[in-house]
Amino acid sequence: MMTRKTFCFYFVDRGAILLAMFALVLGSAFYCAAADTVQVQLDTREAKPRAVETLTERAIFRDYRFAWRNIAQALESNSLDALEGSFAGDASQWLRQTIVSQQHSGLSQRYTQQNHKLKAVFYAPEGDVMELHDTAEYQLEFMDGGKIIGDQHIVQHFVVLMTPGADHWVIRQLQAVRQF
Amino acid sequence: MRHVIPICEVLCFLGVTAPQEIRAPQEVVAGEEASIPTTGSGKATLYLFGPGVSDKRDVSLGDDIRLPGADLQNAGQYFAVVCSSACRSASFFVSAAKPSSLTFMAHPSRVPVAEGDAISGVAIPFDKYRNLVLSPETVSFRLSAGKSSIFSRSVPAADGIAWFRAASGKSAGTLQVTASLNDLEMLRAVQQVASEPCNLRITGERNAKGILVRTEPVHDCAGNPVPDGTIVTFTATADGEKSTVDAPIKQDIARAQIAASGLAVISAASGVVMGNELRLGVR
Repeated sequence: MMTRKTFCFYFVDRGAILLAMFALVLGSAFYCAAADTVQVQLDTREAKPRAVETLTERAIFRDYRFAWRNIAQALESNSLDALEGSFAGDASQWLRQTIVSQQHSGLSQRYTQQNHKLKAVFYAPEGDVMELHDTAEYQLEFMDGGKIIGDQHIVQHFVVLMTPGADHWVIRQLQAVRQF
Repeated sequence: MRHVIPICEVLCFLGVTAPQEIRAPQEVVAGEEASIPTTGSGKATLYLFGPGVSDKRDVSLGDDIRLPGADLQNAGQYFAVVCSSACRSASFFVSAAKPSSLTFMAHPSRVPVAEGDAISGVAIPFDKYRNLVLSPETVSFRLSAGKSSIFSRSVPAADGIAWFRAASGKSAGTLQVTASLNDLEMLRAVQQVASEPCNLRITGERNAKGILVRTEPVHDCAGNPVPDGTIVTFTATADGEKSTVDAPIKQDIARAQIAASGLAVISAASGVVMGNELRLGVR
């Protein structure tokens, strides 16, 4: 019987953990900053033609989650540094363009409460490229300076191409589509 | 989808300002101009967020807002927010243009002949702005050695990817692997080399230094010469002692000088293939 290959992870930064401990100590209700949460569920069962190895699955899960954390940081702080390492090729290029454009226009975006249902649909015979479908759900705020000009709950479908780097997987293509 | 700026909503409700509506374009192709019709009157600010773009500019309500193709080169979802006293937003998708390049990866670069599912290739079409083309496209794969075709298949791309897997040919030499889509063609070369040696035979003779052993020309079972550098291991047993020499094949033949004075039994092996046994007496 095939075992279900699903990972689930909640990323909470150190500040939020300390805040949580402080709140627990005080016995008061704790509010976890949504901005720090990136949840990813990965399903590799239907990847073809090559089955995804366990170590690869872990790496994809880890690197995709960090990539989205980095996207959120980069687009909120308008910092190119946050993109280092997680992206290559076309994905890296348009993300950088976005940030440079935001720097010029004084705009920014804030991604919060991220929830990604990630599904591997293609894994090349030689293991050198993987296509994934991500149904991402998050809260997105558009900001002009410090002012919020739009706040939307988004459900977005991404077609993702990832390739292996020296010690981690990088996103080469991250393209939102109307539907899969 | 909805966005909210409560203070603006309140002002609009009280009739302090004229609300405007914006309608997103239905379908936009990458690099093509689009427009967003608006209602209302007066000045407003347009914010455009999308892959590779984050723009802010003044617009006049009631007019169509023109979005230049240069702002819409990356496929994906775009968000337009128009603010005067209140903000309204709309989103739309930009899809990839027609394919203009093909990324093609073929593996391996070197493969033994007559091996099943040994060669594979993956082709991914992109438009001229490097967007992944997700519309149904059929990629043709062809494997040919010289003028003879050994494999040909048309594969409809699924989710922007077409791939194949095929057996290698029977003859050593360069195999041309081609992926084509409309007038796009990408060519890769795979070197087919002989498979494992077949019928490894050795001969030997004594000389002043001991025994000189050599193989007959080493071929695989299909008659292809085994590539230079393939190691043949010669093992000599003489006077109860065993000695081993690894020798690379050079111009189809592997040679080794073995220091042995008495009766010697010599054998050879390459990979999993054993050769004949040679017995050489005392000189």
